Formats: sequence, C-alpha cells, structure tokens
Amino acid sequence: MLGVSVDSPPANGHWAKELGLTFPLLSDMERKVSADYGVLNPQRPIANRTTFVVDKEGKIAYIEEGKTAIDPTGAMQACSRLKK
Amino acid sequence: MRMFRNLAAGAALLALAATAQTKLKVGDTAPDFKLPSTTGRPIGLADYKGQKNVVLAFYVLAFTGG
Repeated sequence: MLGVSVDSPPANGHWAKELGLTFPLLSDMERKVSADYGVLNPQRPIANRTTFVVDKEGKIAYIEEGKTAIDPTGAMQACSRLKK
Repeated sequence: MRMFRNLAAGAALLALAATAQTKLKVGDTAPDFKLPSTTGRPIGLADYKGQKNVVLAFYVLAFTGG
C-alpha cells in the first residue's frame, strides 16, 4: 500500500504520524506521476482521489475513481483475487 | 437571471471535474515512478516488480478527509 499526493514529505510525515499510518506516503510535488496516471485535477493543482491496484508484473489490475475510492473494499477484493 | 447563469456555470464546472478521469485501463502497464517518501528514501514501482502487488492510492491533500 502506497499513498500518493502532491504534498511535501514533511507535510506527509506529520499527517502519517497523526493517523498512525503503517504504509509510506509519496510526494509527487512536480505532479508528473499524477499526470502520468491521468488523475491530476484540471481545475486545481491536486490529484483526484483514485486507487490503482498494480500486480507483481506491473500491470493495472483494478481502478477505482472518485468518492467511492475512499472505501478500500474494492481494492482489497482485487488484491485477494491476485496471486500473492 | 444572472444568478441562474452563475449556477449553470458552476454546475458545468462540477460536471467537468467529475468527468476528469484516468485514461489508464485494467491490463495496462502502470507508469513507473520514483518519488520521495515518508520512509526517508525514494520509493518506486519497480521496487516491487516480481515481488509484491501494490495498492496505489492517490489522495487529494494531507490533513483532509482523503
């Protein structure tokens, strides 16, 4: 599990500590990765909420966009369908 | 009338935001990256290739509801 946003590493660090996250947060401050994945908000310089599940081969196995992407159920189900 | 026009413009903007979607599809190769992380070391997708499935969660901003 990796979180990605346009926040700086210190901002992400504070937030991760506050939430007690056990997975790393990545800083896409240049917004290149968000653009590559097509999740950059066209109105504001931030990423839209989107979850991708990438399999071991580097292929996309699942995509969830928008408000429902805050619920991890779909992504977790996609993971359990993949070979460990 | 002006208020109505403003409302319509706002609704159009919202609709536009809602349709801003990724062009990637299931089965596509995920674009590789290497980014600074909260571990203190950069993390890339290639680090997991052949080893682990990865859940990549893009979120709006830290200190918000997701």
